[in-house]
Amino acid sequence: MLTLAMYFNHPIFLVTILFLLILVNISHDRGKDLRKWLPTLSIMSTLIILINPFLVSRGTTILFYFRGKQVTLEAFMYGITMALFIAIILVVFISFNLILNGNRFLYIFSKILPRIALMIMMAIRLVPLMKRRLDEIGDVQRLRGMSMTVGDFKTRVRNGMLRVQILLTWSLEEAIHVTNSMKARGYGTEGKKSSYTPYFMDKRDWVWLFVLAGLMMLCFYGGRLGYGKMIIYPELGPWQFFWIDWIVFCSMFIITSFPLFIEGREKIRWKLSI
Amino acid sequence: MEIIHIKELSFQYPESDNYALDGVNLHVKQGEFVVIGGPSGCGKTTLLHLLKKEISPHGLQSGDISYIGKPFDEWDERTLIEEIGLVFQDPENQIIMDDVMQELVFGMENLGYSPIDMRLRLAEMVHTFSVEHLLHQKTTALSGGQKQLLSLLSALLLKPRVLLLDEPTSQLDPVAAKDLLIMLERLNKELGITVIIVEHRLEDLFDKADRVVFMNEGTVVYDGKSREVIHQIFNRQDQRFLPYIPSISQMCLELQHSPTIDQIPLNVNEGKARLASLPPMNPIVKKENQKLNPDAESIVELKDVYFQYEKTAPMVLAKLDFSLNKGDFYAVMGGNGSGKTTLLKTCLGLLKPQRGSVKRFGRKLTHKSIDSVHQQIAYLSQQPHTFFIQDTIEKEMQLIAEQHEIQDSEQRIKSLLNLFGIEHLRKRHPYDCSGGEVQKAALACMLLTKPSILFMDEPTRGLDSVSKIQLQSILRQLHSEGLTILMVTHDIEFTAQIATKCAMIFDGKITAEAAPHTFFTGNYFYTTSINRVTQNSQYPEVLTLEEVLHSWQTHELA
Repeated sequence: MLTLAMYFNHPIFLVTILFLLILVNISHDRGKDLRKWLPTLSIMSTLIILINPFLVSRGTTILFYFRGKQVTLEAFMYGITMALFIAIILVVFISFNLILNGNRFLYIFSKILPRIALMIMMAIRLVPLMKRRLDEIGDVQRLRGMSMTVGDFKTRVRNGMLRVQILLTWSLEEAIHVTNSMKARGYGTEGKKSSYTPYFMDKRDWVWLFVLAGLMMLCFYGGRLGYGKMIIYPELGPWQFFWIDWIVFCSMFIITSFPLFIEGREKIRWKLSI
Repeated sequence: MEIIHIKELSFQYPESDNYALDGVNLHVKQGEFVVIGGPSGCGKTTLLHLLKKEISPHGLQSGDISYIGKPFDEWDERTLIEEIGLVFQDPENQIIMDDVMQELVFGMENLGYSPIDMRLRLAEMVHTFSVEHLLHQKTTALSGGQKQLLSLLSALLLKPRVLLLDEPTSQLDPVAAKDLLIMLERLNKELGITVIIVEHRLEDLFDKADRVVFMNEGTVVYDGKSREVIHQIFNRQDQRFLPYIPSISQMCLELQHSPTIDQIPLNVNEGKARLASLPPMNPIVKKENQKLNPDAESIVELKDVYFQYEKTAPMVLAKLDFSLNKGDFYAVMGGNGSGKTTLLKTCLGLLKPQRGSVKRFGRKLTHKSIDSVHQQIAYLSQQPHTFFIQDTIEKEMQLIAEQHEIQDSEQRIKSLLNLFGIEHLRKRHPYDCSGGEVQKAALACMLLTKPSILFMDEPTRGLDSVSKIQLQSILRQLHSEGLTILMVTHDIEFTAQIATKCAMIFDGKITAEAAPHTFFTGNYFYTTSINRVTQNSQYPEVLTLEEVLHSWQTHELA
């Protein structure tokens, strides 16, 4: 999807992709995470759309002059596509975060970089653990009068640093136990590490993969011929859709809405079976 | 068949003058359940770690360890990893993966088992221990007991013949600890796995063990069947190890002069039978004057407090009323997740309840007042080492004295260190001290500012019996000097001995509140083992061994 978004720059394509992705995201967790990001997203997009035309003066269709510089329609359009593009990336990553938990992440990467994947995995697990420890330290230190909310800036910073120092000492101490536990279960022994994989590709998955790959090819082929793209510089191209544009649009639409289709079908089945 | 044979094993840590182990001889037969006990720092953990070759500590080692007749060095690495499993002390630190399933298969993956083999073993294990419901959970969401079970299972998946356990229950609450021990007994009886367990809490283990080994200063002091060891320790009145004997055995030994070895009871059932067979005595029924003085000034008061951690999470405290009076030694008990620690943190002002009022010293708690009255409050958390900023205990105390402008600080520091008996640790780094020592050091530091209330979160967790008795006498003394204490604990025996007021928290409320004697007597399960023995017997119910010794025997003599 990301590649598709990068490939096409026709605003209609991008708007469609964004719209579908938001729907996909909503299907994951009713848009809870998305809502948190919404302010950032809208501010960023608006800024890009507003600033781009004033910084870039390429293009031929001049709208007006600002302090002697030309503000062009092309740059304005380009800003819009950029903003859409960034919004798409963000939404994709929010979905990515929701779907790809540590385990699946490890599964995908352990084939290529097994050791590094394991390390990343452990580091990820440590973050909430450290957070909890820091809270605990904070409680204890606050009650002995080393507060971070009272006093001048310098003492507060010093108290904060002390907490981090305790956290580090503590965590280093605990790290010894973690390594022992790993070694006790044969980590680092010679011989190949195997993988217990609870994820399988069954026949249906292959069929869908095949279909999606086919559609993807179609999109790329269409894109190479210049369909689904809009010429912005030096002069804004026509908005017009050719029939091949429509084909490319449809395949893109299907690819992007694929998760929605799967989830939606499940929901409908559930509803009907009651 | 002898499975582990240790001969003249000595071990010295680098940069240390003393031997951690000094000529240890130990033979373990296949299928034996061996318990190793002893005070902190006696070398029992070192011994256990030396039995697991991959993690054996660096240092000077002499003597032999052999496994099924062959020295360790002649075995290949893989066999030893598979056949000798180890479960560590802290459930928090030995779990590596994010997900229960991944954690379980971690060992098998490392050793390169085929997926089919792994799936088969996993299916079998998960089914046998009926942990299906945990399989797809996050490891962080598990309780301490579940985490420890998970570690045990992941060691078992390699099909070990010997299972080593390093204080596996020290961080667990009594119910979870009991469950784990029952599991071990089952593994030992049903699968014939040899179990070697190092433990502080021996109350229940004597009954389960085939053999008990006591160590002190790097040597084996006692080694034999449970009853034999108890008998020997009692006859010699060995003060070092008397506290480790189960209170039931101790009670019967005290009441009956020179019993035979077979007469020593190890569990409640045997204790009851023993007590019934004793010649009749007429103990004085001392009505204890444990009155709750309601007139005392209330220093912490909670009214109609509601608390939940998240909007969607269930209520932890609901319509809770609580008041801590001046001079109380208050113990709050309750199961895991019942809200004990939440209550404590609410009293401390670390958590702000959604509804209700929290008053301390008659004033409402605000953000500012928490920070301004901190000298009056001491908080001993479950991780006492988080208290220390400096690298020695001495510097820490001096810093506190400086901060609070304490007069004649040196003298006070000295007297406090003496009171806690940790004068020798003065120049030690807090992380180099044992759990009990750090706790004492932290308490000593806190008391420098002469606080009026002491809050403690599970003070007996991870302490051995001797440290526990020391803590008990220290707390008793502090309390008699006028310190008000609020503690949250699981430890029934400990509470029964020192608290003046007990409360049970259940379903977000304080459901029962009474003096310990009234609180515990009559409880069926939630009471001391001595009380369980004396319930429904011809004698009046008692709670602690001390009570038995004081009220029963004096009369006999008179």
